[in-house]
Formats: sequence, structure tokens, C-alpha cells
Amino acid sequence: MNFRNKKPNKAKLLTLCLLTLSMSLASSVTFANSFVIKNAKVHTATQAGILNNATIVVKDGVITAINPRSYKVTNVIDAQGKDVTPGLIGSMNSLGLIEVNAVSGTRDASEKKADITFDTSKAFNPKSTLLPYARKGGVTSNVVSPMGGESMFRGQSFAVNLSGDFDSVLVSDRAVVIDLGASHEGSRATHIQTLINTLEDAQEKLTDKKAEAEKSDASDSEEKDKKEEKLKRDEIIINELLAGTKTLVAFAERATDLLVLVDIKQRFNLDVVIVGGSDAVLIQKQLVKADIPVIVNPHNNLPTSFDTLNSSLDTATVLIKAGLKVGLYIDDAHKLDQLRYLAGSAVANGVEHEDALEAITANLADIFKLNTGKIAVGKKADIVMWSADPFEISTKVERLWIEGEEASTKSRQDALRDRYTTDTEMPRAYTK
Amino acid sequence: MQTSLPKIFTPLLLAATISTLAGCGSDDDGKVTINKNPYPSTYSPLASQSILFTNATVLIGNGEQLEDADVLIADGKIIEVGKNINEDVDIEIDAKGKWITPGIIDVHSHLGVYPSPSVESHSDGNEMSSPNTSEVWAEHSVWPQDPGFQAARAGGITTLQILPGSANLFGGRGVTLRNIPSHTMQGMKFPDAPYGLKMACGENPKRVYGSRKVLPSTRMGNMAGYRMAWAEATEYKRAWDKYEADFEDDDTVQPPKRDIELDTLKGVLDGEILIHNHCYKAEEMAMMIDLGKEFNYHAGTFHHAIEGYKIADLLAENGNCAAMWPDWWGFKMEAYDMVQENVAIVDAVKNSCAIVHSDSDITIQRLNQEAAKVLYRAKDNGFELEEKDAIRWITLNAAKSLGIDSKTGSLEKDKRADVVLWNRNPFSVYAQAEQVFLDGSKVYDRFDEAYQAKSDFMLGQPSLLENVKKNKVEK
Repeated sequence: MNFRNKKPNKAKLLTLCLLTLSMSLASSVTFANSFVIKNAKVHTATQAGILNNATIVVKDGVITAINPRSYKVTNVIDAQGKDVTPGLIGSMNSLGLIEVNAVSGTRDASEKKADITFDTSKAFNPKSTLLPYARKGGVTSNVVSPMGGESMFRGQSFAVNLSGDFDSVLVSDRAVVIDLGASHEGSRATHIQTLINTLEDAQEKLTDKKAEAEKSDASDSEEKDKKEEKLKRDEIIINELLAGTKTLVAFAERATDLLVLVDIKQRFNLDVVIVGGSDAVLIQKQLVKADIPVIVNPHNNLPTSFDTLNSSLDTATVLIKAGLKVGLYIDDAHKLDQLRYLAGSAVANGVEHEDALEAITANLADIFKLNTGKIAVGKKADIVMWSADPFEISTKVERLWIEGEEASTKSRQDALRDRYTTDTEMPRAYTK
Repeated sequence: MQTSLPKIFTPLLLAATISTLAGCGSDDDGKVTINKNPYPSTYSPLASQSILFTNATVLIGNGEQLEDADVLIADGKIIEVGKNINEDVDIEIDAKGKWITPGIIDVHSHLGVYPSPSVESHSDGNEMSSPNTSEVWAEHSVWPQDPGFQAARAGGITTLQILPGSANLFGGRGVTLRNIPSHTMQGMKFPDAPYGLKMACGENPKRVYGSRKVLPSTRMGNMAGYRMAWAEATEYKRAWDKYEADFEDDDTVQPPKRDIELDTLKGVLDGEILIHNHCYKAEEMAMMIDLGKEFNYHAGTFHHAIEGYKIADLLAENGNCAAMWPDWWGFKMEAYDMVQENVAIVDAVKNSCAIVHSDSDITIQRLNQEAAKVLYRAKDNGFELEEKDAIRWITLNAAKSLGIDSKTGSLEKDKRADVVLWNRNPFSVYAQAEQVFLDGSKVYDRFDEAYQAKSDFMLGQPSLLENVKKNKVEK
């Protein structure tokens, strides 16, 4: 059996050091992971489009040059014309929070009492078997979404890379995830009201405080600050949403719910992202005007509920043509390797190939403010070299780098396959 | 129509009612027999024309592939597949650059019984009220308006088995359907296809009934439950066999008491109903094979056989089909040991019967690509497989599992003309079915709305994009 991409055990400790050091310090040191990929068909996922026979220079985990006239790096990889893309970005799943769905001891994505403060980033398990499996599909980073509990607020999402290292959580408090729409108990109106009331109350408080501050003169404002009431954790998060430093990521499907989000964005000046968006096609103009990105699963084409009657294979096509920023996602982390096939399906249904690639790389990086997802100078060297067209089922990952470090695509599944396909006279348990 | 039945029918209806009450039919000679087909198929193919597809790449379904080949269908049957066929036909379709395969068959679907929209009122796929519900028939739950049937047809699905869910040791009978739009279940029912009996191993039955403090709560409880049921069914069969034998000499002998649950199990013991066994794990499948031997029936097809690769030899040796996903895993412990080459490993053994199934209203729409995942991952790892091999997993082997391989599943002479015309190699991620034929008649055309059926449920919904456009009144 063929064990391509077997990761050499080199520089594991070094990687750990590198990633924990600050960038400025790291860049002053020479590292073994500087390399050049030459002669590649580079899908940049930027306006530069596809660059043929291109050269990418990676130093200290970052892309430092594209097509330079010369370079001093000696570790040169000849891509022989193969397709090279940014590492793919998964999102809105529970990667690293659930190993086996039906085993309660491995489930850390949900919590009955979860609220807006629910932060699962410390529960992320970089050693989950799902990570190497996802790497088979060229996924190098992922936005993990908590599943929450009884509240409409699922909690806060966080971003990770798929290195499997203990320091792979990149960002842990940039977005709040909520559910809007069909409710199994009670009315969807309650969710909408809760959201609007919460934002209104918080904004009122902020406005009052501002007015108070203006009333009092400069001399005693210092004292005021000291006395200022300590905000609760959930209040801080709401204020961050209002300040636009946190994103509101909303699972919502029906047009009426999407319009509530458009309204909220305009009224409170929030950073809003829609996930699901079955009816987004009905309100394209409003979404474009409000500049709200939509993350869809292009395989979801059935009217699974009365909220999703417009689910269609060409939703992504229509939204991209309308000028919206579209991301593609799979909510099942065990199937994260299939993200590229979703992009392929989108292409089969009318999306341009490079637009589909951006929908699983650059667009998600933009939406979640991650410094990856593009082959461009200054971006993290999350790079995949493919045997051919990255979306084709017959294509496989040839090599893959996460922050400039090569990662293996060998997984537990391969070990099992090898065990049961190797000839032996002994019980299989002796084949390791 | 139902209000004005001619009077002459009344006595007949009355007689039918009485025999139903008695639970059995009665021959002229007074011998009591059980009606084995009380909800018969009313499926009849749509009008068909003779069609010649020319210059296609043809996957026959039996392991053969022909390049630049022609396919001739007429009277709803496959007439000929080969080079340069000269025949006067109603329609000639230039298929240059395109691929033709048999209609795709899914052996494991819950369309109609767990339909879209998946609302409370539609949750009809699993009678979770007793560990043995051999008496229920999935066909009695099928909602033919499930929009999923249309979506599956656009993916080339022409035949599919609808199964009850897996909460029970015995979930009830499955039914094989033609994927034809119809407003009755009988209108879709595959004529003369054998019934299936859904059984389930492992975690589901023991979890569902264990939580109610009812047997089974363990895997050994599962086995005990099967064995007790088969022992009882054996007695039931013996009683009926004895009645039939005794009746030859004495026509006053009384028949055994009819039992709807045991009728199904007896059907299996009589070799008329095929077992479809939800069973993930190697050690469990091995025991289910022995269980069949213990009670003298065949263990049939293992569905979701995640660990099929561990017992590929055993499956082939005993003539068991194994229906598998390409890559579902990790949702339960029994689904933890997935390998991407599972189907290929099972397939590699002589006399094997490897199948790719969906169990999903989404992946049933691209079972070709589900098979492609196995094909290419196996090729990556040294398996000698090609498209012509992989197509068997979703056509002929699936037909074999359902007992309909003499009727469909390959483009061989005189079989039903269930045909899919693909825009390209069907194992590409970009592949789309352009036209789908059922018994030689077109039931789907990607480029012609006249051949795109629509469920009653979706018709006229005001929120649909197309209707929003249509309903705008011109000012």
C-alpha cells in the first residue's frame, strides 16, 4: 500500500515553538519550513485568478512572494504543472468537538444551558480522528460552530487550523451564532423579539452612558469611570456586536427571517452573516444592498421544511450572479473532506469554477476575517497541491501545507484498510 | 366515482370483506389460502417509442463497457446494444460524447415514508412500538407526493426499495418501487418484485427498547429477540404446511389462526421474502449469517455494512450482498471503523455482491458520485477497478439484492429499458443525467420542463421563486 504524504517526524517541537512565538520574533529566525513551489497552476482565489507556471515562495509559514524574479530558498518543489490552491476552509460544523455523535462522552458541542457566552474553543480536540480525515479533502482550516442548547444563542464560534497541534485554535471569540426561524416549541416571533430587544436595550444603555459622560465635566469623569458598573459577560458580547467587532452569524432560511436580519444590520450597524438562506433568492436585492454574505450547502435542494421551499441546486449560482459573497459549507464534520465536491456540484449547476473555489476559501476567510484562503503575499501558507482539478472525485491531494508546515493525509481509516488487505497467516490484530 | 358503485359489485365487495375478516382467502374447494399480494401493483409504463441512441460510451451494468456504441430500445425493452445498429426508429438521439448506463437502483431509501417536508405528520417510517413489527409494511406509509422522488429521478434513479426504519429487530416489510410519478403507491409498485423484510442489528434496537426496559437492551438481547421470533415463525409455518398437507386427505380440517406478523416471517422461511438487514459490524453480520442457517433461511443483504471489508470472504462464500455508503462514519460506535475502500474490498472477492446505497434523500440524487468516491479512492490505493466495474454497485448488484436482476439492472437484451443518458462520464463530479427512461419512456429531461414532474405539495406554493415571478400582475 502506498503511504503518500507521510509526514516526517521532523521539527514537531520547532513547529510548536514557531506557532507560539509572535510573528515578529518568528520572522527573525530562519526555519526549515521555507520552501518554494514552482511550475504550478496556481488558483489564487483572488482577483489575479489562475496563474500558470507560477512560483510561490513560503517563509516562516507565510506566503512571501509570488512569481519573484529570483529567490534564495533552496527547498524547491516542482509541481509539474499541477493545480495548487489555498487550503480549503470548513465552517459551521462541530469539528474537534464531537468524535462519535452517539457517544455522549465525546460530545462537547452542545449544552442545555448554553447561552451567548458559550465558548467551546477550550474543548477543541486537535487529536480528533476527524482532522486527518478532513485533510484528505484539502481542508486546512475550519470555523467551528457550537450547537448551543435551549437558547436561540448557540454561543461563539472559533477558528482552527487542521494541523492537529495543541495550539491550533486561531481565533476564539469573533462571532456569535444564533438560530432564527422555525421553532419546534413556541413561535419564531419570540426569537426575533429576543434578538431585537437585546440589541435595543444594549444600545439604549450605551447611548445613556454616552450622554451621561458628556454631561459631566472632564475632572470627575475619571472618577466616574472607576465607579462604572461592571458589565456582565453577555452584555460585553452584545456590545461587541453593536461595535461591529464581533460578527452575528445567523442560521435562517425563510425570507421573513432574512429580512429581519437585513433590518437589524441596517438599524444597529452590525456585521451579519446568513447561514442556510434557502429563501435568499427571493430577496437578492435587499441582501446585496445590505451587503450580507450567505453561506449555503449547495446539496440542500429539498423542501425539508416549510422554511426551505426554495432550496435548490442553483441557489449558489443565483446568489453569486446577484453579486453576493457566497460561502459553501458542510455541517457534518465527519464529511468535511467532501467540501470540494460541493464546489464541484455548484459548478455543475452553473457557478464559475474559480467562484466556486473562492466560496470554499477566500470568501470564508473574508467572512470570518481569517488571514488565509488566498494565494497572496502576506497570507498564511495554507496550500494544497492536487493531482488534477481539485473538485473532481478522481483527483486527490498530493501534498498539503498548514502555515508552511507539511501535513499528512494519512488517517486511521488507512490503517484499518491496510490491516484488512495485507496477507497474513496470523490474526489481523498482529498487522499494525 | 366511489359514491356510485354499480349494484352488481356489492356482493363481491361483501364477500371480500368477509374473507378479510376471516383473514384469509378461500379456494373453490374450501381450502383456506393467504392472499400474498393484497395491494397489487397498478404500475404500467407510459407510452414508449422506439429509440436509437448513437455513438455513446455505454456501461452495460454487468462489467462491460462499449465505446462509440449504439443502444436500441423498443416496446419498453432493451433490444440491442452494439456498434452501427441500423434500425428504423421513432427517435434517434445523438449521444456522441455522452454516456449511457442502466437506470440507477437504490436498495435503501426512506423516500415517501420519511418524506420532505419532514414534519411530524409525515414521520411514518418506523413503527417504534415493539421490537418485532414484522406485521407492518412500508408501502402502507408511502406518500407518493414526496418531492424527493422527483429529485432522485433527476439523478437517474429508476428503481428503489423503500424500507422501514431500524429501531426494531424486525422493522417490517420493504417495498420496491418504480420511480414513476403517481398519486398512489400501487401506481409505483414494481410488478412482481419480492417483498423485503427489514431487520436491524446493533445499537438502534437495543437503545430504543433498552431505554424502555424492554428486551432488547443488549446485543445478546437482540440475538435472543430474533431467535424467539424465528422459533415461533417456524411453528407457524409448520402449522400451515401441516394444514395444507392434511387438507389433501380431509377437507374438513381447520386452518391455523392467521397472524399478520408471522405471515411475513413465514414468507422469509418459504423463500419468498428477502432479508434486508441493517447491520454494521463484522461480528454481528457473521452471527446473522449463522442465524439464517439455524432457522433455515438466507441472511440476505446487509445494509450499512461499514465493516463489510473485515468479512469480505464470508459474505461472498454465503452469497450475501452488502450495501454500503462510500464514506459515512463516526455517527455511532458501530460506524467508527469506516474505510473508504470498503465497497471495493467487498467487491474484490469472487462471487461477491457489493452495492452502494444512499439511505439519504440527498445522496440518492447522486449515487453515481457516491460510487465514484469508492472507485477513485480504491484506485488511488492499488485496486484494479474501472467505471465498468463501479457501475455494477448501483445497478446489477442492487437488482440482484432486490431479486429483480432478471428484469432490470443492466442493458441486456429483453430487460426493461431503464436507461440514463449522462452528459459525461457519470463518475465525474460534474456529471448530470440529461434524460431518464423508465420502460423505454422518457420520465425526465433536464432541458425540457415537460418531462420534469412536480409533486402536488410544491405546486402553486406562493413562496417559490418561480411563482413569485409568475404571480406578478402586469401593470
